[in-house]
Amino acid sequence: MKDNSVLQAHHVIKTFGSGHTEVRAVDDVSLTLEKGELVLIMGPSGSGKTTLLSILGGLLRPTAGQVYIDGTDISSLSESQLPMIRARSVGFIFQAFNLLDALTVEENIQFPAQLIRGGSQHASERAAQLIERLGLGHRRKALPRTLSGGEKQRVAIARALINSPPLILADEPTGNLDSVSGQEVMMILHDIARDEGKSIILVTHDPRVEDVADRILWLEDGALRDRKTEQHSWVHDPVCGMRVDEWTAEIATIHAGRRYVFCAQRCLERFEADPKAYTENPSAVIDSAGQMGVDS
Amino acid sequence: MTRWMLKSLLLEPLMLMIAIASAASAFLLIIMFEGIFAGESEQIVAYVRNVKADVWVMQRGVSNMHMATSYLPDWKVRQVGELQGVEAVDAILYLNTVVEAGEHRWFSYVVGLDVPAAYAGPWAMSVGRDQPAVGEVIVPEVFARMAQLEIGSQLRITDQEFTIVGLSRETFSMANSVIFINKIDMEDIMSSFDISSFMLVKTTLGATPGELVETIEREIDNVHALTAQQFLINDKKMAMQMGTDTIALMTLIGGALAILLVAFTIYSQAARQRRELAVAKALGATNGALYASVVFQAIAITLTSVILATLVAALLMPVLSKLIPAVTMLLTVASVSKIAVAGVFVAITASLMPARQIARLDPVSAFQSRG
Repeated sequence: MKDNSVLQAHHVIKTFGSGHTEVRAVDDVSLTLEKGELVLIMGPSGSGKTTLLSILGGLLRPTAGQVYIDGTDISSLSESQLPMIRARSVGFIFQAFNLLDALTVEENIQFPAQLIRGGSQHASERAAQLIERLGLGHRRKALPRTLSGGEKQRVAIARALINSPPLILADEPTGNLDSVSGQEVMMILHDIARDEGKSIILVTHDPRVEDVADRILWLEDGALRDRKTEQHSWVHDPVCGMRVDEWTAEIATIHAGRRYVFCAQRCLERFEADPKAYTENPSAVIDSAGQMGVDS
Repeated sequence: MTRWMLKSLLLEPLMLMIAIASAASAFLLIIMFEGIFAGESEQIVAYVRNVKADVWVMQRGVSNMHMATSYLPDWKVRQVGELQGVEAVDAILYLNTVVEAGEHRWFSYVVGLDVPAAYAGPWAMSVGRDQPAVGEVIVPEVFARMAQLEIGSQLRITDQEFTIVGLSRETFSMANSVIFINKIDMEDIMSSFDISSFMLVKTTLGATPGELVETIEREIDNVHALTAQQFLINDKKMAMQMGTDTIALMTLIGGALAILLVAFTIYSQAARQRRELAVAKALGATNGALYASVVFQAIAITLTSVILATLVAALLMPVLSKLIPAVTMLLTVASVSKIAVAGVFVAITASLMPARQIARLDPVSAFQSRG
């Protein structure tokens, strides 16, 4: 293991089910994450991103392969040892924020510190620093239900950092945020990697995030693949005409053997109500430079 | 963790109040059963506890009064009266039997008093005389009220009619009442003459009951003497043995109900917090820590319920005693302590229900939850 690496995954495989129903959610994934590196994992829905993130964070055991966090092979640890690794070495940031409703901002941030021995000792001091740094000073005693989405995610980031873990795993951290808050959160994560030397793996569909990443990995069918040479594959939503990246689009359907992608569920519903209205209109058909539909 | 769980409980005050009220109802039921049991247990031995004897003397082989039969020839009463250390002896002839007044029938201690009785008669009177002459009876005030009797009314003991001349207080319980008649009438009822059942002995100044017990047993053949304190203990033990099964069954039912209610509450609480418990697990909380916090919630709910139930019982019991005079209820420190211990047992048992739920919590679900 390299001295500077925080995370190493070796030939990680995760299968669900068995026999005919077996699904390989993660297929022979190997990766190394250096100290202070911010890596993006992108890929279509169902490609295994969250499963991979769960394995890397010690929430899920791989079927095969090893995962090392800070030199510890977490795949060989017992169930009773894993919680301590999660509390000490990994900070989690979730799309849904997952703050504890009954606790104030300050208490939420300090919560993971209480899960490790001696963690509470400097927790309030560290929490105070994080609160100031993330601009939450005026919301210190607020309950989560009174916070905006951006504030909730900043609290979640502070909570992930309270035990100073070397590794931060973030699952769609901007997924529930508006563009301004999303941008703000990304910059915070970028600064954490740069200033504090934390290693961050970020699972996202958000193409705006790419600018802050050191590396971008593409996960498809459970396997890491080379990223396509183009930055994006833009197509147009056949209903509203909005530009959509077909690599990252989550809302799609197959009609008459062609795959159509949409910017929103509402557009998909309109399309499904009357597909002909959108597929027989020549003006809606765009070629491969900015095509509306893509062959499945 | 503890703070989180406590604050989680308080986050939904309505749910918490419903949970506590439900569990408190079950505990209130147990406290009332216990209160009735304690009250009736005390009341069954009311006579032994309240008469001013220092030493009780009875037939050898007998050691209590409740449901017991004892025969002592009256010459032994005179012998005891002449012993050193004896100030006075009141002899009673006693029978457990049914007293009838119209349609009302009541199981009673019928005490035949050797009138004038210095201290073996009723210790608290509501109205009338406390020394019954031949053909007269003193009944509990509550009994008289329930059977719509008054001074001058008639009632029947076995085959004899008696006229009520006094109404006593503190002499009634659901299990038995204390009725006083003249010893001559009692001898007629029992067709036994010049005998007594018990001697109630008072010591002279300076003599101790323990010493007098030794003197009586040494000097008088075939009698058993006990200090009033020991006699009361024996009588209470016997009385409680006879009523314990029923009360234990009722308490068991109340306890089972409490366990179910608290278990359901804790299970629902854990189910509602499923997402947050999964998040805590993902963040590094162990199953043990999560389970401990659920146990803490269970104990917090249960003990609050016990306290609430105790307060309600303390307010309710005097009111119920007035509304239902036939029932004697008593709230004792011992019974509340017993309920509190039972409460902790209920809490821990109830916490077993969500234990499996917690052990099977999938921390990955923290990634899957969407707000």
